[in-house]
Amino acid sequence: MTTTDHTELTAAVAAPRAAKAIRRDRPKLKDTWWRHAVAITAMVIALFPVVYTLSSAFNRDNSLQGATLVPTHVTLHNFGNLLHNNVTLKSGGKTDAPYLRWVFNSMVIAGTTALLTTLLGALAAYAFSRFRFKGRRFGMIALLLIQVFPQFLAVVAIYLLVYNLGNVFGPLGINSILAVVVVYLGGSMGVQTWLLKGFFDTIPNELDESARVDGATPAQIFWGVVLPLALPVLIVVALISFIFTLNDYVLASALLQTNDHFTLSVGMFGWVNQQYGQLWGPFCAGALMAMIPVVILFLSLQRWIVGGLTAGSVKG
Amino acid sequence: MSEIAAPTPRAPFKPGLIARAIALFSGLPGMIIKFVLLAILNALAVWAAYVLIDRGKWISLAILVAATLLIDYIYLAPRSWTLPAKFIVPGTVFLLAFQIVPIIYTIEIAFTNYSTGHIISRADAIQAIKVNSLQPPANGRQFEMAPARDADGKLVLILHDDSSGAVYAGTKKGLQPLAKPTVTISPDTGQPTAAKGYTLIKGAELFSLDAQLRALEIPTKGDSAIQAQGVSQAVELQPTLRYDSAKNAFVRISDGTVFRDNGRGSFVSVNGKEELEPGWKTYIGFHNFGKLANDPLYRSPFVKVFVWTFVFAGLVVGLSFAVGLFLAITLDKKGLRFQSFYRSVLVIPWAMPAFLALLIWAGLLNDDFGVVNKILHLHIPWLFDANWARVSVVLVSVWLGVPYFFLVSLGALQSIPAELTEAARVDGGAGWAIFRRVTLPLVLVAVGPLLVASFAFNFNNFNNIYFLTQGGPYTGTSSIAGSTDILISYTYKLAIATGKGQDYALASAVSIVIFFIVATISGAMFYRTKAIRSVQ
Amino acid sequence: MHHSLKRMWALIGVIAAIAAVAASSAGASHKAGPTIVIWTDTDRAAAVTKVANDWAASNGATIQVVTKNFGDIRDNLGTVSAADAPDVITAAHDWTGQLAANGLVEPIFLSSATKASFPSYTLNAFSYGTAVKKLYGVPVAVENIGLVVNTKLAKVPTTFSQLETEALQVKKAKHQTFGIAVQQGSGGDAYHMYPFFSGLGGYVFGTNKAGNLDPSDIGVANPTLLKNAHLIDKWNKEGLISSKVDSSAAQNAFLKGQAAFWITGPWNADTLKKSGLTFKVIQMPAIAKPSVPFLGVQGFMVTKYATVHGVDSAAKDLVTSFMATPAAQTQLAAANGRPPANVKAKSSDPVLQQFSAASKGGVPMPNIPQMSSVWSDLGQAWVRSTKGSGAMAASKSFKAAARSIAAKIG
Repeated sequence: MTTTDHTELTAAVAAPRAAKAIRRDRPKLKDTWWRHAVAITAMVIALFPVVYTLSSAFNRDNSLQGATLVPTHVTLHNFGNLLHNNVTLKSGGKTDAPYLRWVFNSMVIAGTTALLTTLLGALAAYAFSRFRFKGRRFGMIALLLIQVFPQFLAVVAIYLLVYNLGNVFGPLGINSILAVVVVYLGGSMGVQTWLLKGFFDTIPNELDESARVDGATPAQIFWGVVLPLALPVLIVVALISFIFTLNDYVLASALLQTNDHFTLSVGMFGWVNQQYGQLWGPFCAGALMAMIPVVILFLSLQRWIVGGLTAGSVKG
Repeated sequence: MSEIAAPTPRAPFKPGLIARAIALFSGLPGMIIKFVLLAILNALAVWAAYVLIDRGKWISLAILVAATLLIDYIYLAPRSWTLPAKFIVPGTVFLLAFQIVPIIYTIEIAFTNYSTGHIISRADAIQAIKVNSLQPPANGRQFEMAPARDADGKLVLILHDDSSGAVYAGTKKGLQPLAKPTVTISPDTGQPTAAKGYTLIKGAELFSLDAQLRALEIPTKGDSAIQAQGVSQAVELQPTLRYDSAKNAFVRISDGTVFRDNGRGSFVSVNGKEELEPGWKTYIGFHNFGKLANDPLYRSPFVKVFVWTFVFAGLVVGLSFAVGLFLAITLDKKGLRFQSFYRSVLVIPWAMPAFLALLIWAGLLNDDFGVVNKILHLHIPWLFDANWARVSVVLVSVWLGVPYFFLVSLGALQSIPAELTEAARVDGGAGWAIFRRVTLPLVLVAVGPLLVASFAFNFNNFNNIYFLTQGGPYTGTSSIAGSTDILISYTYKLAIATGKGQDYALASAVSIVIFFIVATISGAMFYRTKAIRSVQ
Repeated sequence: MHHSLKRMWALIGVIAAIAAVAASSAGASHKAGPTIVIWTDTDRAAAVTKVANDWAASNGATIQVVTKNFGDIRDNLGTVSAADAPDVITAAHDWTGQLAANGLVEPIFLSSATKASFPSYTLNAFSYGTAVKKLYGVPVAVENIGLVVNTKLAKVPTTFSQLETEALQVKKAKHQTFGIAVQQGSGGDAYHMYPFFSGLGGYVFGTNKAGNLDPSDIGVANPTLLKNAHLIDKWNKEGLISSKVDSSAAQNAFLKGQAAFWITGPWNADTLKKSGLTFKVIQMPAIAKPSVPFLGVQGFMVTKYATVHGVDSAAKDLVTSFMATPAAQTQLAAANGRPPANVKAKSSDPVLQQFSAASKGGVPMPNIPQMSSVWSDLGQAWVRSTKGSGAMAASKSFKAAARSIAAKIG
């Protein structure tokens, strides 16, 4: 790719899509049948594990392996046990598996992290987008490079750091949900900042100017002008951060030590680990209940996701 | 980016309720929030300073004070340079504390011997070795014990010898025999329950004497002494090792064997065969890196794992993008029926928490009992054969990755002006040619940086490997690295299961190596995608 | 903004001062009276609380029980901050080496009378030391795996070849891919395979002259085992055992009557009783040598933090004088569905008694920290050689494992 290409393309992409408003007639099925075929095949593959999770969740058997498309003995037993913290181990003993507590912890951790990550990222992106200052280029490049060192590579160091922090300031110590959030925030500046900066760049400077003429401070411009206009991309960044945080296992399992502080990933992994004899029934029921709200959240926001994902990078 | 004048933001957007709520915070309330946050920050800093002063941690204190003053200055003293800083500082504080500092800390650990048997300080280790070396001498006596106070209120141990039935009063001066009738012994436990002239200590008072009880040594013959064990027993003990602080070595009393500090956190016998435990944490220079480079146990899997990590990350990103783009092109047809329904369903694998999906896939892929083989009437050893396991982790990772690239490609496709493809068509381009010449390059511009980011992400995709195969199966001669282990999961195994248990220092050394590899590659690739060059 | 600066500083100063007062007062508060913190797992929490409180009541102490996943007790002990650290932990004997090598647990002494009431292997299991061997734990419960026979489907075998024939008959009749339900999975399971391993003449570590486990003497591919290794290839070929069977597959097969033999431990005693099957638990019949299981002993240890907290003597008294009594042992072991370690405290449960009987001649899992280098390699040796078609020859597989273990131990 040459530089000329790049300029041309970006310019072209930046132009509003004129054809967008034109609504053509529905295409004929004989021209589009293959599109439907591809889509249906892809859907089957996408939903395959979900369907079996569903089946196992409602099955009385504790296994995923004997699972059939339609559960053989339909029961709500698994769900009831989850909600009443009554998951029975194969040993006959009880696990102390406060599923609802884990859901709550996960939501608090992932929600707070997503919110603050987006805010911190947006603040920095605004500076990178609107101000010219010494170290700006260095800062942007540094962010990109640091980002490739995932936090969990330093899990031992983070553990010791949090351990020492806890000795100075208790609430930020080991086994604290707050500490986990704070650690995740360490990763808040990075690719997201790039994504946000890219989007902010597309918001015309004239808007800032006119606000400034009206006497607005940079802070007021940020909160009042830029953020509202960037809402779609903010939602995308928050959502990505939310999902990423929800999925983390390594850091959460290193920092959280007691059952009532676990996140879903740490707690539920115990159920299918050999050690406890693979409790697929409760696992699938729990998985189902955990994924439904996330999927709904996702689908309800998806009209913004499609645009927001590429917005930043296109404008690089 | 100012030379590209975008007339309007991409998606024309009506400031709604949320926007108005945000705007509300930008005036006086905003300023109050700022002051309150700043005040809380200062309060926390003062708190932390107290603790740090109390513990004499002066370097930490200096950093804390400097950082707090700098932040206060930035927000309270308007200068031209503080304006961008105001926006950058909040994220940077967290970045420094929980991203940069851990990296530096990891580098430090990589140069230590921090591992099982080497986690406490040298002084603690010497103390522990001394305690561990205490052993009952030949014919050593055991006593039932009752702590008591004599007439002067001094701590005395009333001791009842199990075997001989003799009773004593023990002080730090030595054992003093008591007349049997003056001491009442419980017939069940052999415990002294009363002694004439002494007041037995009971209940809470007894436990408050913990340190004194442990410190009390009643000398007997030679270097033997009677020591309390708990509150109701005492044992005659003799050290078997003597610490020579001048020579910085332990000497075994029975045969004179000398255990020297080996410079790597252990006292080791001169012939090198025996090691005293515990050891301590200390700096050992490049030893860990040397191990990775020279020890065939680590080196040969490292190379294998290194190559597979690239193959894995490359395949996953490449296939995810290819399939995602294909689906996007298929569905990016104006007026296609069920379009948004298809799109909604297809993003579900991305919306689903990945760790759940991975664990479920692991169950479904079991080859004799798994659902996948059952449905397809196959007998593929998905997780048991090295190559099939590699296929499995790639396929499942692609399953997880496709929705993201599908959405990204869809976004990119929709932002390609129709005129561009129309023009190409008018020029006589065929479908494939248009795709190759016009669509693909345009999509790549949009998706390029995301491909690099995704590569970096998959390069370290611990979850996908750990939850699916845990790195297995193991076909070679070593179980340190399995067929599907990537560098990060290999590191994790080094950290938890080699030698005597956990080797955090070695794992940290590998982390550093991984960091440099990924940073170099990503740096080069970002450079190529011009993401960096375009920042002015 | 300039004029408000002064006020702002004042505000910050006030809040900082409040925090400072709070900080100093927080630092000044101290705990009153001795409190002993015990870490235990959920199964045992109630019993531990009750037994420990019996002791505390007569000694004027307070007990605080913290519940954790069993394995986390070991992992977290090394990383917990002193303020939250336990004084006493529920522990498995095979943690002894690692915890002692790290200086995390304290040696304890038992009176001769107390010692006499425990089988010597249970005390050995908790003893460790490179220079001087020390006792670090009081045994409470013992556990081991046995061969569970579905007596409706098969006769109780007295020889291994009988077991083999019966298992293969059921396999054929029920169209199964394996005869004996013993769990491995892709991760391997050296613990559940140990009866086969010992029956073929394998051992993990030999002992040196002093009677200590010797990490340089690795018996994973000793000549006896290699001589008998062809049997593993035969079992693999005829499908007697299969590494594709994981814990859930093994359990399902037995409970659904598709396999007549299941190798499992007392943790499944309740499942067995509830299953409605008629069964008997025995030690697996000898192969070339007696097919003994690994023995696991669980008990209590006193941590180094007891000294830090100033409750060392109290904690030792609780563990050595009180937890070791038959009455306490019965309660503690029963809570976890295991036979008690104290010989005076026999379990009355018939199934647990059968499991106890199956322990005859068993080998305590090695408690030296080097064991962590063994589990995965030994497990993989079995996985490689019993995965059906394409399996590696057993002698080659075990030799490879032995080499890898030796290299890892270094």
